[in-house]
Amino acid sequence: MSGFSAVLRKDLRLELRSGESTLALLALSMLVLVVLVFALDAGRVRSVDVAAGALWVAMVFAGMLGANRALLAERDNGAIRGLLLSPLDPGTLYAAKLAAALIFMAVAEVGAVILMVLFFNLEFDASIARLAPILALGAIGFSALATLLSAITGRTRGGDMLLPILAVPIFVPALIAGVKASAAALAGAPLDSMDAWLKIMVAFDVLFVTAGYLLFEHVVGEG
Amino acid sequence: MAAPVVEIHNLAKTYGLAPVLREVQFRLMPGAGAFVVGGNGAGKSTLLRILAGLEAPSSGNAIVFGQDTRKLAARYRRRIGMMAHQSFLYPNLTACENLEFYAELYSIAEPRVSAELWLERVGLADVANARVRTFSRGMEQRLSAARAMLAEPLLLLLDEPFASLDHDGSEIVASLIRVAIERGAAVIATAHAVPEIEGVEFAVYEISHGRFASQVHKEEVRRGGRIRSLLGR
Repeated sequence: MSGFSAVLRKDLRLELRSGESTLALLALSMLVLVVLVFALDAGRVRSVDVAAGALWVAMVFAGMLGANRALLAERDNGAIRGLLLSPLDPGTLYAAKLAAALIFMAVAEVGAVILMVLFFNLEFDASIARLAPILALGAIGFSALATLLSAITGRTRGGDMLLPILAVPIFVPALIAGVKASAAALAGAPLDSMDAWLKIMVAFDVLFVTAGYLLFEHVVGEG
Repeated sequence: MAAPVVEIHNLAKTYGLAPVLREVQFRLMPGAGAFVVGGNGAGKSTLLRILAGLEAPSSGNAIVFGQDTRKLAARYRRRIGMMAHQSFLYPNLTACENLEFYAELYSIAEPRVSAELWLERVGLADVANARVRTFSRGMEQRLSAARAMLAEPLLLLLDEPFASLDHDGSEIVASLIRVAIERGAAVIATAHAVPEIEGVEFAVYEISHGRFASQVHKEEVRRGGRIRSLLGR
């Protein structure tokens, strides 16, 4: 547990000092939402459907950036080797990196939700609160997947390009479930009416958190 | 009789089709030191990375503390300290924060106190709160030495430990190596030229085109002009 908290505190300290990831994530979320507001014709589609889709597009892009950056700090000066050589269990390292990516993504999501409400003329009401568990499940699943994949892509040339190519298709089931559930929540539906979508997201989270924990040591090393 | 700290049997490493290490045989006892000398690309750094468990050999075995380095458990990794070309340090953390972080990873009691003690030992106490990104290469190398020795490892793997160091820095690192050997640690260091460390006798091995030659007599190396004194320059 001390290794987990040491790595997490170190990542948060680095982020507080530079603010690079959070600012980049917020800026990217805002850009995506602005582009989509102008690109989509809200008059022809229900506003909540467009808003939910835009929010998840922003979240996916921000999540990729966040996961990439979380491991990028470890590639500087070969620090990842220092971690792998230490007694720290690779699964614990994965858990700490996942926790850091989740925190950065949560901050970006709060910003993205506020922007979404403003850009799509929605109300700050109970429907926004109902989004919280849906976005939390999506953030856990996407961070788990992207943290695992960025450990692989970070070792390759052009890894930044490779991450979205690998991550987005795998995330599609959770993405569809997340967009549908979010649209329903924004339309005022109660959470238990979107049971099926939430179950898909929980299953995705369990699968990729477990896979990441077990496989991280095999993908982060240098063979 | 004590068991060897390092045993290497018929070790080979290839990257793609290019062989980097071939038929390496080697053993090292506790409290012994070995210098591996060779030119650029000879395979010295690869050998150290394999011993640290950071890379797997293509064939043969590298055994450290009786364990195959392909599967080094945490309690064995804890006994290894490594200085590499890269410092393993975080540029945006201060010198003290870096050492404190590693002290926590190694479950050292009172990480802050330990970090300050090691900063003192490597002569960086006055820049303890400066970020590593502001350090010169030599200062970073000293801090890297402190990081590697923080947990008092029983096997020290040092990849060109004196590179970029000035005279004072070289003396500090040499004295830390001497102390480590005196407390029973085994030390493997690589270099282009063998440094002489007062009070410590190192076996010298030459590595060329991935082949690990048998032990080289120090006089032979000296005649080749490849011994340099760290002290009294």
